[in-house]
Amino acid sequence: MTQQAVEVMKPLELPAVVRRRLTGAELAGLAGLGAIALLPIPFGSFGFFVGQFALIYAILGLSVVVVTGYAGLVSLMTYSFAGIGAMVTGIAMASWGWPFWLALPLAAAATIPVSVIVGVTSVRLKGLYLAIATLTFADALGETFFKWDRATGGLSGWVVSRPHPFRSDASYYVLLLVVAMGLVWMVTGLRSSRVGRAMLAVRTNEREAQALGINVYKTKLTAFLISGALGGIGGSFLALLLKQVTRSAFQSPLVEATSILLVTVVVIGGIDRPLGAFLGAVALVVQQQVFQGARFFFAYFGIYSAALLVLFLLYRPGGLMQVVRLQWRLIQTRPRVGIISTALIIGLNVGLAWLFVRLS
Amino acid sequence: MSEPLLEIRDLTVRFGGITALDHVSIDVAPGEIVGLLGPNGAGKTTLFNSISGFQKPDEGRIVLEGQDIQTLLPYERVAAGLGRTFQHVKLFTNLTVRENLLVAQHRHLSSGSLSAMLRLRAWRQDEAEALARAERMLDLIDLRAWEAAYPQALSYGTTRFLELASVLSLNPKVLLLDEPASGIQQKEVEALGPLLRRIRDDSGCSIVLIEHDMSLLLSVSERVYALDFGRVIAEGSPDEITEDPQVLSSYLGRTRRTHATA
Repeated sequence: MTQQAVEVMKPLELPAVVRRRLTGAELAGLAGLGAIALLPIPFGSFGFFVGQFALIYAILGLSVVVVTGYAGLVSLMTYSFAGIGAMVTGIAMASWGWPFWLALPLAAAATIPVSVIVGVTSVRLKGLYLAIATLTFADALGETFFKWDRATGGLSGWVVSRPHPFRSDASYYVLLLVVAMGLVWMVTGLRSSRVGRAMLAVRTNEREAQALGINVYKTKLTAFLISGALGGIGGSFLALLLKQVTRSAFQSPLVEATSILLVTVVVIGGIDRPLGAFLGAVALVVQQQVFQGARFFFAYFGIYSAALLVLFLLYRPGGLMQVVRLQWRLIQTRPRVGIISTALIIGLNVGLAWLFVRLS
Repeated sequence: MSEPLLEIRDLTVRFGGITALDHVSIDVAPGEIVGLLGPNGAGKTTLFNSISGFQKPDEGRIVLEGQDIQTLLPYERVAAGLGRTFQHVKLFTNLTVRENLLVAQHRHLSSGSLSAMLRLRAWRQDEAEALARAERMLDLIDLRAWEAAYPQALSYGTTRFLELASVLSLNPKVLLLDEPASGIQQKEVEALGPLLRRIRDDSGCSIVLIEHDMSLLLSVSERVYALDFGRVIAEGSPDEITEDPQVLSSYLGRTRRTHATA
């Protein structure tokens, strides 16, 4: 050990950045993602609509991944950011006649003032108290911004239309797929970077992070800014999905309920894994559709998602991403057991869903 | 003694009615290894917290390289050249050993979040540098085999070395080590003394050491301050300190007055 200490202070030689090839696990993962992406096709227009919803939830889930998964700040106002994005897109397109591709960056930028306020708050408030504060912010926005006729287009809201090549359900689905995957790629990149690692460090141990020269204040603020922008982007695409956005969805209690659902999405997916947001969104939105036909839908879905949340927190805190990783490892070490158990898990879920749809 | 690198003058910290530090003055010369001796509750850790900015002193001055660092926040003091370890190692339990060392490279990097999300050149260069630095530290503490493990999987002694490697990554001018030998095996304690000297020789940094392992403290330190009840009661070479009557009575323990331990 002491021998090697000599080398500590030698000048550093930087290795050339090597482009690495995809590993088997990554190829298998891509194949799995491809299969999920093709899921809506047999269901036609309805399938694409559900798929679009799942992808919007995935984008909004990424917003939670950054702020809660990376930086450990529990934010229960993600859907308020989406609301700001949706309304700004609405006013820019419907009232000012802007094209969507200009309205989109504006929607992301419009979240900045709110992100700054919440970000500053998050330096003082921790854990549960911050969660409550964000709920209050969501409520306050619902009572002010989302009651402002000029910004929200009154009770009837804004009517927007999709830009040219994305009018059809299938093409808009493909667009969302590309955008969501692009954002997953971006947020994944963030994880292995100076800023992303600072967030992960602040999440676990603020004191130690400071002792390593990390500016906790700036880190938290950055987390909220990125989270807000992702929320705004998700909201902007949501406006196009719905074609008409009305403010009631962003007022209490719907806005809080949706924000909490988004946290559930991310916990089920794997809270600090961007791809987990995608998996969680698919799982939850598909579940939602399965239960759609049932009587007492809200009761069923609420109970189911709550049970799912508790089960995952207790037994698979790493979410679906952890399940995927464990199954993959099992397939590698004990191929037969791994493949059979994976097939069983998928089969059981699909079978139950099919049964439920048939019975209801 | 040459111009001190770290100069602490009349530092006073009070917790309510208790005076944790009472006009403590300490000098640390460039490249010097200074030991802090004292029973529990003497104020050693409070002194470290004040120097590194985690505890706001009521009176006194802290000067590093002629610059008063009193108003700087802890992370700014790292940039000014301070590095510290904690008495109870925590590390980042959500990050692997390798990622823990990557976090510690923070101050050497500069790329922003956008360049990371778009995988720009600045990010790629930063990552290459962080990786090279982290891997050198992995080799230093011999943890290559454990780089993908989480700190919980390591023995307590090993996490101490990991923390030491993290703080060394900061290239500090003054290294504050709070009981680096506590909880580690005797064999490793024996290796720690030469390791600390080596670190000092290679990097030229000064080291201030709090340590309850007397043989380690006395063998590695060039000068020792003895603290008791928040006051410096003696200062001198290890030999002088062990013969100081006040130190003998307060630390090596004859009649002990009862007092609260911090």
